[in-house]
Amino acid sequence: MIRGGSSYVASAPSFSNDAKKLLVCTGNTVSVFSVATGLKITSLEGHTAPVTTLIVVPASTAAQKILCYCWTASLDGTIRHWDFSGPELLKTIDAHVPIYSMVIPSLLSEPHLTDSTKLVAYVSVEDASLVKEGSKELRGHIRRFNLAKERLPRGDTLKETEEPKSIVISPSGEFFGILHKCKIHVWDTVTSGGSIRNAVSKKMTLHHTKVINAFAFHPTERIIAAGDVTGRVLIWRGFGNRKLALGSQKKNVRSVVDLDNPGVRDGDDAESSTTWHWHSAEVNVLNFSSDGEYLYTGGREGVLVVWKLDTGKKKFLPRIGSPLLYFMWSPDPTLSSVVCADNQIHLLKMPSMEILRTISGIKPPPSLPKMYEGLASTVAFDRSSGVAALCTENYCVQLYNLLNDRGISEVQVCERNHQPGDEITVVVTAVALSLDGSVMSTTEVKLAEDGIGGLVSLKFWVSEPDNKTFTLSTIVYEPHKDAGVSAIAFHPTRSMAVSTSFGGDFKIWVCNGSDKDSSSWTCHAVGSYKKKPMTAAAFSGDGTVLAVAAEKVITLWNPGKNILLSVLGATLTPITKLCFAGKSEFLVAASHVPKPQLSVWNTSKLSLSWSYELRIEAVTSAVDSSAFAVLALIPETFKKSKSKKNIFSGRDGAILLFNGSDPKPVSIWTVIKGEGGSISFLEGEDDKSQLRLAYVNGSHEYVVFHPNSDETHERCAEGLTGDEETAGDFGYTSLYGKLPDYDKKRLECVESLATPFVSSERPWETIFSGSTLNFPPLQKLCGEFFESLMEKRTAVVE
Amino acid sequence: MEEELRVRLNDHQVSKIFPVKPKSTAKSVSKSETTDSRYWSSFKPNSNIPKLVSSVAALAFSPVHPHSLAVAHSTTVSLFSSHTLSVSRRFSFKDVVSSVCFRSDGALLAASDLSGVVQVFDVKERMALRSLRSHKAPARFVKYPFQDKLHLVSGGDDGVVKYWDVAGATVISDLLGHKDYVRCGDCSPVNDSMFVTGSYDHTVKVWDARVDTSKCIAEINHGGPVEDVVYLPSGGMIATAGLNSVKVWDLIGGGRMVCSMESHNKTVTSLCVGRMGLDEAAENRLVSVSLDGYMKVFDYGRAKMTYSMRFPAPLMSVALSPDSSLRVIGGSNGMLFAGKKKKLPDAEKKATSFWSVNSQVEESRRRALRPTYFRYFQRGQSEKPSKEDYLVKEMKGVKLARHDKLLKKFRHKEALVSVLEEKKPANVVAVMEELVARRKMMKCVSNMEEGELGLLLSFLQRYCTVQRYSVLLMALTKKVLEMRAEDINGKEEFKGVLRNLKREVNQEIMIQQSLVEIQGVIAPLMRIAGRI
Repeated sequence: MIRGGSSYVASAPSFSNDAKKLLVCTGNTVSVFSVATGLKITSLEGHTAPVTTLIVVPASTAAQKILCYCWTASLDGTIRHWDFSGPELLKTIDAHVPIYSMVIPSLLSEPHLTDSTKLVAYVSVEDASLVKEGSKELRGHIRRFNLAKERLPRGDTLKETEEPKSIVISPSGEFFGILHKCKIHVWDTVTSGGSIRNAVSKKMTLHHTKVINAFAFHPTERIIAAGDVTGRVLIWRGFGNRKLALGSQKKNVRSVVDLDNPGVRDGDDAESSTTWHWHSAEVNVLNFSSDGEYLYTGGREGVLVVWKLDTGKKKFLPRIGSPLLYFMWSPDPTLSSVVCADNQIHLLKMPSMEILRTISGIKPPPSLPKMYEGLASTVAFDRSSGVAALCTENYCVQLYNLLNDRGISEVQVCERNHQPGDEITVVVTAVALSLDGSVMSTTEVKLAEDGIGGLVSLKFWVSEPDNKTFTLSTIVYEPHKDAGVSAIAFHPTRSMAVSTSFGGDFKIWVCNGSDKDSSSWTCHAVGSYKKKPMTAAAFSGDGTVLAVAAEKVITLWNPGKNILLSVLGATLTPITKLCFAGKSEFLVAASHVPKPQLSVWNTSKLSLSWSYELRIEAVTSAVDSSAFAVLALIPETFKKSKSKKNIFSGRDGAILLFNGSDPKPVSIWTVIKGEGGSISFLEGEDDKSQLRLAYVNGSHEYVVFHPNSDETHERCAEGLTGDEETAGDFGYTSLYGKLPDYDKKRLECVESLATPFVSSERPWETIFSGSTLNFPPLQKLCGEFFESLMEKRTAVVE
Repeated sequence: MEEELRVRLNDHQVSKIFPVKPKSTAKSVSKSETTDSRYWSSFKPNSNIPKLVSSVAALAFSPVHPHSLAVAHSTTVSLFSSHTLSVSRRFSFKDVVSSVCFRSDGALLAASDLSGVVQVFDVKERMALRSLRSHKAPARFVKYPFQDKLHLVSGGDDGVVKYWDVAGATVISDLLGHKDYVRCGDCSPVNDSMFVTGSYDHTVKVWDARVDTSKCIAEINHGGPVEDVVYLPSGGMIATAGLNSVKVWDLIGGGRMVCSMESHNKTVTSLCVGRMGLDEAAENRLVSVSLDGYMKVFDYGRAKMTYSMRFPAPLMSVALSPDSSLRVIGGSNGMLFAGKKKKLPDAEKKATSFWSVNSQVEESRRRALRPTYFRYFQRGQSEKPSKEDYLVKEMKGVKLARHDKLLKKFRHKEALVSVLEEKKPANVVAVMEELVARRKMMKCVSNMEEGELGLLLSFLQRYCTVQRYSVLLMALTKKVLEMRAEDINGKEEFKGVLRNLKREVNQEIMIQQSLVEIQGVIAPLMRIAGRI
């Protein structure tokens, strides 16, 4: 089983002492990347909750540069000490409360102190133990821990806040501080360190009129820079001369008390305060250069600004394309890194600020306008190579290798200059990959302004074999007049594609021209059925039949000759997804507005075989076998019922694996963030017949597993997915009132049995599954049904 | 240094600047550039030939260099020089000339006229050398056999094909068999005594002068009055033209039809065989002209029509010069459509240029470069990289037009105005689309000053009904008129533009109405066709 797609940007990364490695917090683990290649070397595994803080023990001498020690703190309440060259866990300290942030000042102020027994850490924790319902106790605590002991006492609390805050420490290790709305609280580590028993260490506060987003300490002087939500950068010089004075400076302090301090508010303890304004939106990144000459700022606009501290002159690195989150400089003066909100870590060559390399994580899904939510199909899979094409921000399609957990390339679908935070006016609504992964098709919609200038375009991209960079082959403007494209599907064997539109027609596109340069896609046929909106399309496994959903009916076509073969009855609601179950004659249709339904149709008998009342997010089918899997959202009513609360802890979706005509799922896994998720079968790595199932959830985390092996099931249970047999509402629920009752009983039975898959010989389970046509006469059924109930009762007695 | 180079090569831009680009337009699916179309369209039309008196009945090229051209029109045969396309000599007749033919050495010329006389001229003299009188009705064709310099074949409306001894001006044999007018004929390109004739009795007969019986040795039925017949270069196949079809027959295979082309709409009047180029591998094509004004090129090897060209008159005759540098077509109104190929640079020329480079090098060596020369500063710039040189490509900068730069600075209205001044409609529409995507179009329109508004209105007036832009521009025009109504109202300078706009709109409405009418006519037809 492969997991991946974790966020690289949840907390700040850190360079190793030789600047050859970059440590990145990736969920529960810390990944170590090589700076030279941008590839993952190793990972530190051990935490059971997301890692929030990562501190590399700095080197004081050149000889120490090879040392690879680091401290991590996590929401699981532990602080761990690692040797990441190994990697090896050296020490675990249990703090019992989730740690949101941690600083260790003595590592910076006294780097020669290698003895960890005297280390003191300041942590920001969330202590919910004292918080009762309705009380005014504050959850966030800033505490002092002595890292010498294995198990920690409660520690001294310095400050309480509503939320746990992140602590910022000065590069010299003298001060640390937190943000609190419009204020910055700063503590002095020397004085507070000197008097361990005195819990109240020296503290000072700086005030501002706007909410402050980020701040940073100057490495050598007493300067604090802060950025607020309006984009201003404030610089306080000479802070804390009065309140945080060190013993040697006490004499000077008295002399400056009465001076007029320009720009400083409320008699704050600072000599002067200046404001710089360039950013148009909030400032998220603030960092001084290691020599203290420059200040780096960045924010929503995705522009890194370098200010010369003396003069205020600016230099820019524009068009990074995504809001900035962190800026880190490395021990190597020519290298630094910028972390972006789109899960990318850019390594910069320093004085010139060129982007050397990008460590590319899976990009988050785009934020779509409301009308496209749920309609867009923004993830496509290449089954043979395990590559997923994911729509992301900036009109990009990212090609991500799910098996290696690496970004391969990016395709800019729409050539526009992107400003993060702009109103979204161009939306990539669908992406599809051909079965061999050589052709990609995308559609985008330009939204109209006041009814003018709307445009739908369909694009076909081709790639070189074994090189996943796609180049544009054909653009079709307004493929279905001004109607939007609802779905794109590729023919399994020929270079043929079909696009369906809400305007009531579908078009079959074929590629003419054999070589890559001259080939282009042209319309081969147009079809429509009673002018109904076409909402979904699928080719059969051998490509001889094209199924197009015309709202509530399914039309079957011969794609080559464009002849209507037959029409499959009507569902209750418009169909949104279609899929042939492998090479079998079964066709899976899903619809969800206003009433969700999953229905399976037999195309040889032209009849409905069975259906569930489930909201389906994605359907996939195996190429060779008749197995298919659906990603269903667990109905609210089902989730609320008390007996199942423990099963669906935080899980809102379920993957159901079916086999052909059998309405009983072969296996079920419950998953988190199922909404907006996608699933697909992938070919096995060694044996092509051994299938793997890939699931990408709504926030682009994914898992790839073997659906048929037992080993997966056990491991699934602990993490992202868990397996538990659940039952949907059978189609005959309405017919027989007692059925739901019986379902519940069966569930309980399953739970008590603990093994997820019950292969019992109880006959009633198969009676109710199957086509209406095959339904036995009512008299016979009644007898058997009551018989089964009686049998059930005896089972309960046992 | 090397390290740095590698780093530079590796680096990739995270996010690029994209200039505003107009929508690409569709290319035609059929490949416009086939070898055939390239070859046949490369004949440059020559327009300075004076219009001849009446229909051009026949054309013939001399088989020897410089391939002068004989044109039969009215009662005259004019001899044109193939270089200058000017008349060098005229031969006059008593009646309308129907056919003309050169001898294999190009020294003599035979022509037939409607009085039934066949005359033989020396190309350098005015007077006829021989007058062959035997046809009792108009003679329609005369032809010299392939290499034979002493005999002639002629045919006429009396239905008799005559084999002449030219020196004695006597008929050697009367070949009887055609039941209707004999209109055309051709002599075999491989054999001196074989020839074919085509007649209005739908048949083409193959004759052999060596056979005494004066009977044809083979017969082919074309299925219509035969207008022209030609031997294909192999000598074993012939092509016939009659009605609107051209058919290719295999004579050796017993008169079997190989293929037929029926893409002309009217009677095909003349055929000829042309070679595509001079080299060994060049293929032959059958060129046909017809009364519908089309010249069509037929690849009989693949049984495919490869090229078609339209002329503004019914066409009567066609000829291609033996060196394939000239293509001449005669029209029924006396127009002569001549197309000439450009001369390719010869191999000789290449040799001289090679030498001239050498001399240049020597010259430059003589004049040593000094810092006062301009060339001094350009030295070495055109140096080509040698094999072992490591090539570092310069980063290609993005070319930004003026409106792109303005858009980059968010000066939207100025960008729109600057692109409107450029007068490239595709670019204007592209900028407008970008403004729409930025949600700034309406703001731009409302901020425009009077002059700029005039610019915008005249652009809208000109292009709003162009199909490619109409979706955007029609909506925009409406919006502009709504938003700026009080500014536009009663202004002198906008009156003309608005009047034109109104006319455009009315025209468009009329077009739409007529389209709807046509659709109304077609729809039932389609319905019926669909039912069948």
